[in-house]
Amino acid sequence: MAKTPDDRRLEILQGTLDMLILRTLQWGAQHGHGIGQAIRAQSDDLLKVETGSLYPALHRLEKRGWLTSEWGVSEANQRAKYYRLTAAGKAQLSRERDRWSQLVNAIGRIMNPAPAGPARKD
Amino acid sequence: MRPDDRELDDEIRGHLALSVKERIERGDDPEAARLAALREFGYVPAIRDSMRRVWYSRWFDAVAALGQDMRVGLRSLLRARGLAATVVVTLALGIGANAAIFSVVRGVLLRPLVNHDEDRLIYIRQSAPGIGAENTTFSVPEINDLKSRVTTISSFGDFSTVDFTLIGLGGEPRMVKAGVVGGSFFHVMGLRPVLGRLLNAHDDGPKAAGAAVLTYRFWTTSLNSDPSVIGKTIRLGPRTAMVVGVLEPSVPYPADTEIIANVVTSPHHLGATMVTSRTHRMTELFGRLAPGVSLAAARAELTAVHAAIMREHPEAYSANGDVQLRVKKLRDQIAAPARTILLVLLAAAAVVFVIACSNVANLILARSVRREGELAVRAALGAGPGALRRTLLAESLVLCSAGAVLGVLLARPFVGAVARYAARFSVRALEVTVDPSVLWVGAGLAMAAAVLLAYIPRLPSPHAPAGLGLTSGSLRITPGTNRRLRVFATIQIAFSFVLLAGAGMLLATLVALQTASTGYDMRQVLAFDIPTSATGAGFGDATLKFYQEATRRITQLPGVDGVAVGSFVPWRDAGLFGPAVSFAVEGYKAVNGEEDPRARFRIVAPRFFDVLGIPMLAGRDFTDEDRRGSEPVVIVSQSVAQRLFPNGQALNRKMWWTDPYFGNPPLRRRIVGIVRDADDEHVVRGPALTIYHPVRQIGVGGRLFVRSASGDPYALVPTVRRVIREISADQPVERAATLEDVRAQVLSPDRLNAFVFSGFAGIALLIAVVGVAGVLAFSVSARTREFGVRLAVGSSPRHLLTGVLSEGVLIAAIGIAAGAAGGYVLARVAARFFATMQMPGMLPVLGAAVVLIGAAALASLMPAARASRVDVLQALRSE
Repeated sequence: MAKTPDDRRLEILQGTLDMLILRTLQWGAQHGHGIGQAIRAQSDDLLKVETGSLYPALHRLEKRGWLTSEWGVSEANQRAKYYRLTAAGKAQLSRERDRWSQLVNAIGRIMNPAPAGPARKD
Repeated sequence: MRPDDRELDDEIRGHLALSVKERIERGDDPEAARLAALREFGYVPAIRDSMRRVWYSRWFDAVAALGQDMRVGLRSLLRARGLAATVVVTLALGIGANAAIFSVVRGVLLRPLVNHDEDRLIYIRQSAPGIGAENTTFSVPEINDLKSRVTTISSFGDFSTVDFTLIGLGGEPRMVKAGVVGGSFFHVMGLRPVLGRLLNAHDDGPKAAGAAVLTYRFWTTSLNSDPSVIGKTIRLGPRTAMVVGVLEPSVPYPADTEIIANVVTSPHHLGATMVTSRTHRMTELFGRLAPGVSLAAARAELTAVHAAIMREHPEAYSANGDVQLRVKKLRDQIAAPARTILLVLLAAAAVVFVIACSNVANLILARSVRREGELAVRAALGAGPGALRRTLLAESLVLCSAGAVLGVLLARPFVGAVARYAARFSVRALEVTVDPSVLWVGAGLAMAAAVLLAYIPRLPSPHAPAGLGLTSGSLRITPGTNRRLRVFATIQIAFSFVLLAGAGMLLATLVALQTASTGYDMRQVLAFDIPTSATGAGFGDATLKFYQEATRRITQLPGVDGVAVGSFVPWRDAGLFGPAVSFAVEGYKAVNGEEDPRARFRIVAPRFFDVLGIPMLAGRDFTDEDRRGSEPVVIVSQSVAQRLFPNGQALNRKMWWTDPYFGNPPLRRRIVGIVRDADDEHVVRGPALTIYHPVRQIGVGGRLFVRSASGDPYALVPTVRRVIREISADQPVERAATLEDVRAQVLSPDRLNAFVFSGFAGIALLIAVVGVAGVLAFSVSARTREFGVRLAVGSSPRHLLTGVLSEGVLIAAIGIAAGAAGGYVLARVAARFFATMQMPGMLPVLGAAVVLIGAAALASLMPAARASRVDVLQALRSE
């Protein structure tokens, strides 16, 4: 895996980390390290989750009942905590996904107005 | 669900292992991989903490830390058992005393009565302070006038007390105290029956059938709560009544009676005197405020109506009496006598608490000085001021909680004792029990003490060079600490002095009361109540015959030195005959505007003065010939003779009572004798204007006095009782006591005052002594090296001993001076609120000072001896 230079990397947008975690777990149970790596890989190395944000977020989601956890043995042959999406978590994910596409749409409309839009600037 | 710290660690460890593995697989060197993984992860404690924070609030952690500190504190206190025990016991005494007094105060002064809607229940009292009559009660015509004119009171209830001989509930005939009430009484009082019914409007008036209600106390204690008493017919003197119900437990006021009966049971209540005489006052009056009427409005209307009644009937009210009406809520009326004493007790308890706290502060301060090294180490290791304070707070919490637990346990017996004591002043105290408020007060006081104590020691300054405190385990006492120790010791002495002086004052009063000469032969004279009106025999020949026969036969008993009938047992019957009665004498002209003189009306049989040890000063005693039909005669006390006849010509003059009660025109009676004054109303003797009448001319006495020749007078009681019963089987013979015991009984509230205060003062003294001894012991042990040096350069041990001793005495002296000044100011302030506030005399103040100085000297003796016996070599080597 090639290293991404720091200047290319993007900040994770405020409030989207929870959604990213939930989305990542849709494919099955995973531990914290795996979740972090998956987000990085899926984003083509553009997004990197700091552990200082990832772990509190995992615990917060577990406390709200969107995730459950169980202990298992990781690829490193060590005890690891695997998180899994609950039914409530799935519902939450679909809500967040809707909100996200609305947001993207709305912002997109502002940033890239349709050709018949307001007067062009010189 | 909540992950614990171990699980959080495991999760982090699992992450790092994966991260390292990934790097090694990429070809990194294992050591470099581990470092890189750690670097990438971030500061582990901070991240773990942010995970924790999701599950545990800051508060939770703070409390947990305090709990941890408390466990540590407990362990470290267990190593200083002596100190811990002293602190806990001291606090327990302070907290226990306060909690107990507080629950009694709450029970007596603050708790509502059981009566329905007790907030609207009022008590109305007529008094005549001008002639010393606190409670003149009301006459039936007065009550009828009030009832017909007052609109702010929805209904009135009346209550008067009579004695009945009760026959018919098993056992011997017995004297019972009974309330006689009108039909509205129970409705006004808002009381319910526990069994049967109470008296109502149908039981009122002269035509109703006799009916009686038993009080709860009488029913449970004398009748074993027997439900079959309902419907039984009992004899009350000459009349009969049916028991219709049992009253719920309630505060007995104005009198603690056994039964409450309707008016038809008491012939006296139906008589013309009772019904028509405006001055025949024997009825207490209660009322219920009309809806929407305030106490103040009712008071205003009652006072106005009362003033109008007085204007319409000037002859029925003493011109100098300053007759007035007082209207209070019943609850306040019942609590009033206990209010002052309870507030004073509360203050005394608070003082004990202050002393206890300052003593504990001293001990803690001394301990914290010894721990300065430990605190400095902890500060050096990064504990902030908050954490250090928390350590101290945890420790003082452990101490104070233990003190509070022990204090609350102590409070249980305290409450019992204080309640029995307060019951002398207010019947409500009898119902006081230990309630949860004791726990709250205890816990609150402990908390206050704990916080206070945690902020007393100074923390090691973060800027000071810590080296000194860290390196040497020895003691360094700063002048500041020393001064604070002394200040606390002085405070204790000052407060103890106030309590001691107060207790000394009460003791001095008590001793004065108990040793005062009374004018009576105290030891050998037995007094009995032989109420004849109770049997229904009434006044007259039968009664006189009974007196004569009883006197004759008891006189013949072995061991009896003299027997006489009287009408008034000194002190015990105080107030029984109401205020003194106005009279006039031939040859005495009142100065213009002066009212007639007033004297006490008493009835005695021949030999009465001889039996009670009152000397005749002039003239003759009564004889059996002074009877109805013969010339009316009286004997007067010395004060009467001296006041009205300064030239000593009282004998053979005529006197007559001018009060309308004695008829018009009044009978003139010749003065045939003069006896020395004896004050039968007050234990502390005052001038007593008394006029004695022969029993055979009046026809009623009711009291019997028997003088025993030698030995125990009480040995005569069974024989006297048997002889009287032989003459009249239904005759009650009660309350046998020597005059000495009568006085003791009358003085028991004073004795209890002195006792309780001495208890408080004793506790205070004990704590203060411990405090002074502690301060000096600490100061001596901190100065071991100094003493060693002084001994080494030639100081005599004696010199060191007196030095330490005088230090202790100086603390005491300063404390006493402060206490005297503070106490004086306090007493002046208190005098503004309590009319009866007295300044202690010189003797109790000096006594308290001497006791304190002595105690302080004693307390300094041990540390002083230790100072003088310091081993020079050891002391010098100690640093």
